[in-house]
Amino acid sequence: MEIFIAQLINAIALGSIYALLVTGFNLLVVVGGIFPFAYSHIVVLSMYMCWFAMKVTGNSLLAGILAGVFSGTIFSFITEPIFRPLAKRQAQLGSFIVAMALALILTEVMAQKLNMGIVISIPQNLQGKEALIKFGAATITAGQIATILGSIASFLGFFYLLYRTKQGRAFRAMGQSPFSARLLGIPIVRTRIYSYIIAGLMGGISAIFLAMAIGTASSSLGDNLALKVMAVAMFAGVGNLGGGLVAALILGLAEGMVLAYLPGDWSQAIAFGMIMIIVMIRPKGLFGTMV
Amino acid sequence: MAKSNVLKVEDLHVSYGPIKALRGVSIEVNEGEIVVLIGANGAGKTTLVETILGITHVSAGRIHFMGEDITHKKTEHIVASGICLIPEGRGILPLMSVMENLLLGAHHFKGDPSENLKLIYSLFPVLKERTNQMAGTLSGGEQQMLSVARGLMSAPKLMMLDEPSLGLAPTIVKELFRRIIDLNRAGYTILLSEQNARQALQCAHRGYVFGTGEIVLSGNAQKLVSSSKVQQAYLGGSCE
Repeated sequence: MEIFIAQLINAIALGSIYALLVTGFNLLVVVGGIFPFAYSHIVVLSMYMCWFAMKVTGNSLLAGILAGVFSGTIFSFITEPIFRPLAKRQAQLGSFIVAMALALILTEVMAQKLNMGIVISIPQNLQGKEALIKFGAATITAGQIATILGSIASFLGFFYLLYRTKQGRAFRAMGQSPFSARLLGIPIVRTRIYSYIIAGLMGGISAIFLAMAIGTASSSLGDNLALKVMAVAMFAGVGNLGGGLVAALILGLAEGMVLAYLPGDWSQAIAFGMIMIIVMIRPKGLFGTMV
Repeated sequence: MAKSNVLKVEDLHVSYGPIKALRGVSIEVNEGEIVVLIGANGAGKTTLVETILGITHVSAGRIHFMGEDITHKKTEHIVASGICLIPEGRGILPLMSVMENLLLGAHHFKGDPSENLKLIYSLFPVLKERTNQMAGTLSGGEQQMLSVARGLMSAPKLMMLDEPSLGLAPTIVKELFRRIIDLNRAGYTILLSEQNARQALQCAHRGYVFGTGEIVLSGNAQKLVSSSKVQQAYLGGSCE
């Protein structure tokens, strides 16, 4: 029983990270008007920046966290002009291709130039592997608690912004009808830029939690995450912000439980198998593609 | 008494690729007027109102609003300066509540939007009853009221309505035109684009008749109603 609870906490922490990633991804779909395949690659690049900042500051936690969050935000922000002409024409497929190109470039940069292509390992003090709670043979680590609480705080902040502020109203109006939003005088370009910044901020935060959870990062992690994020988004219904959150938690739980209780690593096959079945039964995803 | 000029469009040319949608259109709207644009589908009425709002690119010509040149300004600046468009098809946001739709109309309004809300609820009491309802669940007529009300939230100096009667039942259309006259009496200046020519002309002060991409006739609305040319082309008069 203790082991099960510990596994459950681990799975929830993993699901929270996916939820952050999917939410940022969906925000870019809905408001940014693109299919942001490279979003996860930007997150992995932010993990590298976090690692680098810690390396040069003698493992300063603060420097690492700030570097990760800040890089996510900045990297996301500077990709906006690349997608602007495509978003203007609502060319989602075109944006998908461009995002894949960007993802490939980022992957190769990480593989060739960062840490000479060697896998980076995150300093112990950021990983937070020390047991915070112990019961029987099971432990819950500081990193897991930080991830879950940090994610909850991020979601509260994000959904407050989305549903209780003028900016959030503008975001949702853009998602439902870019044309109506424009008629109402919502500054389209500026609102899109804000969505990149918010998505980047959430990406930066998830980079820190990923660094805690995985403890390492390599150039191939971007593709790996991108597939999962895309799949979770489809599972829930692309652009469905609330649905994406729920679907990400389901994926995290499934993956965590499979890793814990099945021999060998079947997590991908089972997670993606679930998604295939859902998309067969409900082509628009579990919750539909609604803003 | 000479009333001041709110909108002045001079020799406007607009093209969609090789297609010339507007060829030298000039119109004026004075303060306190209802001006109607009539003409067949595809004559360029929607293009004109969308170009005034900065949505479509101007090839040549000038647009002045309250004495200021707005020809190449961005839509958000034009809306902020006091023009609103109630678009064809209403353009409401179906998955947001009536209240949120109204608040979006006040995106640029500097001041307390609750004053505007009070006015809107007195004009359209049905919207008050439905404040928290999803806009997509309203009836067609109610959605049109919401679209007009949302425009009013910005306290506009010029309201443009594009085909507001489209898809509405005849009794609702009648009520809609009554509301437009009420709004005008309350001081709003209105530019109305309509295929429903007779009713639109009956509530307007002046009118412009669109041919394909150009204005073929203009003048006093009463005179246009009785003009044989307009009757033949748009009011179901006999064909030769």
